Amino acid sequence: MKEETIQIEKRVKRYWYSDGIGELLGGAAFLVLALYFSAQQYFGDQSLIGNLLQVTFVVVLIGSIFLMRKLINFLKTRVTYPRTGYVEYRQNGRNIVWGRVLSVLVAMGVAMASVIIVRRIDFIDSMVAITGALVAVILLVKQGWSVGVGRFYFFSALSLVLGSVLSVSGLAPGYNLGLFYGLMGITFVVSGGIILRRYLSENPVPAETNNE
Amino acid sequence: MSENLRSLTDLDRMIHEPARLLIITILSMVESADFLFLQREAGLTKGNLSAHLSKLEDAGYIKIEKTYKGKLPLTICKLTTSGRRAFEQYRQQLQQFIVQTSK
Repeated sequence: MKEETIQIEKRVKRYWYSDGIGELLGGAAFLVLALYFSAQQYFGDQSLIGNLLQVTFVVVLIGSIFLMRKLINFLKTRVTYPRTGYVEYRQNGRNIVWGRVLSVLVAMGVAMASVIIVRRIDFIDSMVAITGALVAVILLVKQGWSVGVGRFYFFSALSLVLGSVLSVSGLAPGYNLGLFYGLMGITFVVSGGIILRRYLSENPVPAETNNE
Repeated sequence: MSENLRSLTDLDRMIHEPARLLIITILSMVESADFLFLQREAGLTKGNLSAHLSKLEDAGYIKIEKTYKGKLPLTICKLTTSGRRAFEQYRQQLQQFIVQTSK
C-alpha cells in the first residue's frame, strides 16, 4: 500500500511537468541569466552599466522568478487546466518555513564555500564548475528523485558535463557562466517545446467545459 | 488469525470501496483538485465519479466547491479534516492487519 501510495504521489507531482510549460519558462529564465552574465563581462566592472548590472543582480534574479511563476500560472490556466484538469499542490505550512530556513542556510553555506574555492583554485574557472555541479544536484534531487521525471537525469548530467568542460575552456568567467546558462536554457526551451507540442496533440480541448 | 480477519470488518466502508479509495488517496496528496483531474487520474466516467464524490461529500469526507480560475469554471474537490483523519485511520487499520497476518 505504501509503495502504491508513493507511486500515486509521484504521478500527481509529475503532472506539473506533463505540459513542458515549466521547462519552457525555466529555460527562458536561464537565457535571461546568460544574457546578464555575458553583459556583465562585456561591460566590465569599471563601467556604469557594469556596476548597475552588479547592483541589480538580486532584483534580476527575484524578478525573473516572480515573473516566471506568474507566467506559468497564466499559461497553465489557459493551456493545461481546461485540457487535463486543475490541481493545487499541498503545502505544509510548518514544513515550508523550515524548508525555506534550511534552503537559505544551505545557500549561504554554498555561497561561502564557493567564494573560498574560487579564490584558492585559479587554474580553472571554478565558479562555472561549482554552478554546474549545483544545478546538477538540484535537478537530480528535486525533479529526478523526488518526482521521478526521467529527463531531469539527463539535464543533471548535462549540467555537470557543461560545468566541467567550460571550467577549462579558457573563456572569461562571465562568458563561461553566460555560455553555461545559455546552453542549459536552450536545452530546457527545446525540451519544453517538444513536451508542450506532444501534450497539445495528445490532449485537445474538451468540447464541454469541466463540469460534472 | 480469525481475530485479525474480524478487524477487517471495522474498516470504513465509505473509504474501502476501490474507486473511492483511489479518489481519497489522490486528494490526500494535494490541497485540492478539480473534477477533470480526478476523472483522468482515477480513470472513471463522469457519472461514476460524480456519484462517488456525492457519497464522499455526504459523509463529510470531501468538500466540493464550484469556482472560477480566471474565466475557467472549476469544480474543486478538497479533503476535509475529518476525511483526512478517516483516511489515516483506514490506512493504519489496514497496515495493522497486513503486519499481523504476515507474522
